[in-house]
Amino acid sequence: MQIRDYILRRMMVLPLLVVGVSIIVFGLTRIGGSPIGIYLSHEMSQDEVAQLEEKFHLNDPVPVQYFYWASGVLQGDLGWSGVAAAPVTEVFLPKLAATMELAISAAIVAVILGIALGTFAGARRNRLPDHLTRIFSISGAAMPLFWFAILALIIFWVNLGWFPIGRSDPDMWARISHPTNLYTVDALLAGDFGAFRDAIWHLVLPALVLGYGATAIIARMMRSSLVEELQEDYVDAARAKGLPERLVLRRHARRNALIPTVTVIGLSFGFLLQGSVVAEIIFQWPGLGRWMADSVLRGDQATIMAYVLFTSVLFLFVNLVVDVIYAYLDRRVVLGE
Amino acid sequence: MIRSRQRNRWSSLVGILLALALVAAGCTSSDSTDTTAASTDETTATGTDTTAGSDATEPAETTEPAASGDEIGNPGVFVHAADDEPTTLDPAQVEPGEGGETMILQVYERLLEIPVSGPDPVPGLATEVPTLENGLISADSLTYTFPIREGVTFHDGSPLTADDVLFSWERVMDLELPGSAAEVLSDVVDSMRVVDDFTFEVTLQEPNAAFLNAVVPAMVSSIVSREAVEANGGVVPGEPNEFMQTNMIGTGPYQFVAWNRNENLQFEVYDDYWGTPANLDLRVEIGANPDIRVLGLRAGEYDTIETDPSFIGDIEGAEGVTIFSEGLTVEPIHIAFNMNAPLDQLPETDRIPEGFFDDPRVRQAFNYAFDYEAFVQGALGGFGDFNPHYIPIGIFGYDPAAPVYNQQDLAKAEELFRDAGVWDTGFSVSVVTEEANLFEVAALVLKDSIDQLNNPNFEVTVASVAEAVFDEAHASDPVPYAMWVKNADPFADPHAYVDAYTNPDGEWGEIHGFRDAYVDPDRIADLIDSAKVELDPTARAALYSELQQLLYADPMWIIAAQEGVVSARRDWVEGFVSNPLWPRPSLKFALMDKG
Repeated sequence: MQIRDYILRRMMVLPLLVVGVSIIVFGLTRIGGSPIGIYLSHEMSQDEVAQLEEKFHLNDPVPVQYFYWASGVLQGDLGWSGVAAAPVTEVFLPKLAATMELAISAAIVAVILGIALGTFAGARRNRLPDHLTRIFSISGAAMPLFWFAILALIIFWVNLGWFPIGRSDPDMWARISHPTNLYTVDALLAGDFGAFRDAIWHLVLPALVLGYGATAIIARMMRSSLVEELQEDYVDAARAKGLPERLVLRRHARRNALIPTVTVIGLSFGFLLQGSVVAEIIFQWPGLGRWMADSVLRGDQATIMAYVLFTSVLFLFVNLVVDVIYAYLDRRVVLGE
Repeated sequence: MIRSRQRNRWSSLVGILLALALVAAGCTSSDSTDTTAASTDETTATGTDTTAGSDATEPAETTEPAASGDEIGNPGVFVHAADDEPTTLDPAQVEPGEGGETMILQVYERLLEIPVSGPDPVPGLATEVPTLENGLISADSLTYTFPIREGVTFHDGSPLTADDVLFSWERVMDLELPGSAAEVLSDVVDSMRVVDDFTFEVTLQEPNAAFLNAVVPAMVSSIVSREAVEANGGVVPGEPNEFMQTNMIGTGPYQFVAWNRNENLQFEVYDDYWGTPANLDLRVEIGANPDIRVLGLRAGEYDTIETDPSFIGDIEGAEGVTIFSEGLTVEPIHIAFNMNAPLDQLPETDRIPEGFFDDPRVRQAFNYAFDYEAFVQGALGGFGDFNPHYIPIGIFGYDPAAPVYNQQDLAKAEELFRDAGVWDTGFSVSVVTEEANLFEVAALVLKDSIDQLNNPNFEVTVASVAEAVFDEAHASDPVPYAMWVKNADPFADPHAYVDAYTNPDGEWGEIHGFRDAYVDPDRIADLIDSAKVELDPTARAALYSELQQLLYADPMWIIAAQEGVVSARRDWVEGFVSNPLWPRPSLKFALMDKG
C-alpha cells in the first residue's frame, strides 16, 4: 500500500478512535461525581446551584450530557475551566504552546544525547565507556522525575543561581508580541535576542531534566540495537570489503539500529508529555501539564476532558508518524499489512 | 566519500557549537542584580496619610543573619508567591476568603480601611470615620454621612466623586452575583444618596454595630470607576461583567497591568496616587507548590511567600530569610455537626441513629475527645491557639475568660458518651474534607482521638475528596455528610461569625438544624440579635460574653484551632506589616520596600 493511501486510511479511522476515547473518559470523569463543584461556593443558595446545574445540563442523563459536550466541542466550545477561571479554549492554546515548547526541547535533548550515547556505548561494548554510559542511562531511567527535578532546582536555582524558574522574565515576555505563543520562536520573529536568550535560559534546566529520563531509554535501546547489528553478517561483509570501521558504523550498522530506536523515540514523546506534568509543576512552567494537575486535584472536568481529547489525538498522530518513519527506514516493512 | 565525511564533521562541529551557545546563553543570563535600582530609602511607607498614625506593633520574628553581600533579587519589583489563583478580580463577584480578595486589597480602596494594626477602621476614600460625636451618624444611628476625599483619581484618570461610591454599592446589590458577598451590603443598607459631589449618605435598615468595621471596609464595598464600568459592559443584574472579572481600575497605590493565568499577576506603581505611593512594582506569582514557594524564597526569587505553619520547619535557619509569626488568622478551623444529615444519603459505612447530634452531650463528648495539642503542635507546628464558640481571638467580643475546649479529656468524653447512651450502641461516622491540606489533618486527628477511646463500637472515617467534590457537598442542603471540616470565613466583626456559625436561624443554623438541637435556641438568637444592634461597646461585649458561655455547653462545632499567622520573607524586605483582618495573606505590598 502506498504511504499516501495508508495515511488517508488511518486519518479516516482517527475520528472514530477519538470519539471512543472521549466517551470512555467522559463516563469515567462522571463516575467521580458531578462537575458542578468547581463552579460552586458555599455562598451560593440552593436556587443558584440549581440554576447552574440547569445551565450546564447536569441534571440530564450522562449520555445527554455527553451529547451537549460533544456538540460544544464541534462548535469550538470546550467548556469553562474553573481552575483557570476562563473558557477552556481561551487558555488551551497558550498553555499547549508552552508545553510543546518544553516537550520538544526535551525531545531534542533526549534524541541527540540518546543516539549519541547509545552509539558511543554500542561501539565500545563491554569497555569502560560502555559501563559509564550504562550507569548514566540506568540512573536516568531509575530516578523519579519529581525527585531529580527538585534536586536540580536546589542545586542550579537555589544554590548556584545559574538557571531561573518559570518560563520567562515577565518584562522580557511583555516586550514582544506572541503570535505563536512559542517564546523562542516569537523572540526570533521579533528579532529580540535578549528575549530569545531569556527563553533559552528558562528552557535549559527543565528540558535537560525532562529529557534525561527519555535520553536513558533511547540510549539503552540504541546501544543494544547497535550491538546486535554489529554482529550481523552484512557488517562482516562491509568490513571484509575494507570499509573503515567508522563508515561501517555510521553507514550500515547505525542506520539499521535506528529502526527500533525510532519506535522508542515515538513512545518517548508520550513519556515526555506525561513527564511534563511533573516538570511543569516543579519548574513553574505555565503549560498544559500544570493546569491539568490542578484540574484533577480540583475536579475541573471540562479541562480534564479537553486535555484527554488533545492527548488522544496527539498520540494517534504520533503513532502514525512513527509507522511512516519506520517504513521509510526499513524497506521490508509494508504499511497496512 | 570525502564530501560526506566533511559534511559529517561540519554538522558535528555546528552541533557542538550550537549546544555550547545554548548553554552559554543560559549560564551568562544569570540574574544581573542591579542593587542601585532598589530604593535605599529606609523610611517605612505606611500607606495612606490617615493610616500613618496607626499603632503598628513590632512583629515577632525569627531572623537569620543575611549572607554578607546578599544581592537583592528582582530589584524594582516586589515578588510575592501566593497560593491561590483568583477566580475573579471584581469586588462585586469575589467570594470572601478567595484569592481575588488579595488583589482587590492592593488595587481598590474603600471609604474606610482596616489599618496596619487593630480592627478599628480609619479613613480611606472618606476623610472621616463617622461617629455620633462628629455628627456624621444620625441620632437614631441609622444614617451615616461620608465626606469623600477630593483630588482622588482612578487609574483610568477619571476623578472620584460620591457618584462613584453610590454606583459601586448599588452595582453590587443590583448584580447580586452567585457566590459573591453582596448580602454584606444588601442585608444592611436601606437607602443611599449623593448629597453633593463629595458627600455620600447611607441609611441602614436598623442600627448595626458592625457597619463601620465590617461592612464599609469589606472588599465587596470597594469603590470602582463608574466611567470604566459603563464603558465596558455596564451593569446587567445577575450577569458577571467580563471586563471587571479580568481587569481592575481602582484608586489604590497599585494599578493593574496583566493577569497571566496560572502564572502571575502584575501591577505597577500608580504615580498619581493621592496617598503615600508604593515603593516598588508588584508581581504576584500564583499556584506554586508550597515546597517550590519555600525554595523560591530561599533562592531570593520571591520576597514574601504565602505558607502555612507546617512549612516553617523547611524555612527555619535558611540564610537571609525571616519568619513572621505574630497573631492569629481569624478563620478558625472547625469540624461541623450536621443535625440535618440525611441518613439515607450518608456513606454506606456510616451508622448513626436519627438525631445523633441533637444531644448536646454527644457534641460535648466529641469536643472533649479531640486532641487539640496534637493538631496544634503537629499540623500547625505550634503556631495556633484556641478560641471559644464562636468568636476568634482578635475580634471584638472575644472573652478571654470564656470557657474553651483546648485540652483533650478522654475520661470526660467517655463519661458524656455513656450518659448519652452512645457508649454501648456505638456509631460509625464519616468526616468529609478536602484532600491534602490542614483540614484533612484535622479530620485525621479527630479519627485518632476517637480511636484513643478504645471503644470498638466507635468508628470515624475520613472521607478525603477533591476540592470540587467537597464544594459540591458543602454547598448542598442538606449536606450529605454528618460531619465535615473546613475553616470559617474571615470577618472583622463578631456578628458575622455568630450569625453564620451559631445563630439557630442563621446560614449554617438552618442548613444543619441548630434550632432543634440547641437547649435554648431562643436565648441564643436573642443574644445575637441584641448584640448586632447594641452600639455601646461594653454592653455589646457583655452580650457576646454570655453567648460564649452558652455555646460552650451547647457547641455546634469542634474548633480544632485558630491558626497562627505565619509568613516568610527575605530579610531585605522593609516596612513589613501584617493584619489578620486583611484578606489572606494579610499583607499590603504597597507598604513594603526592599533595601
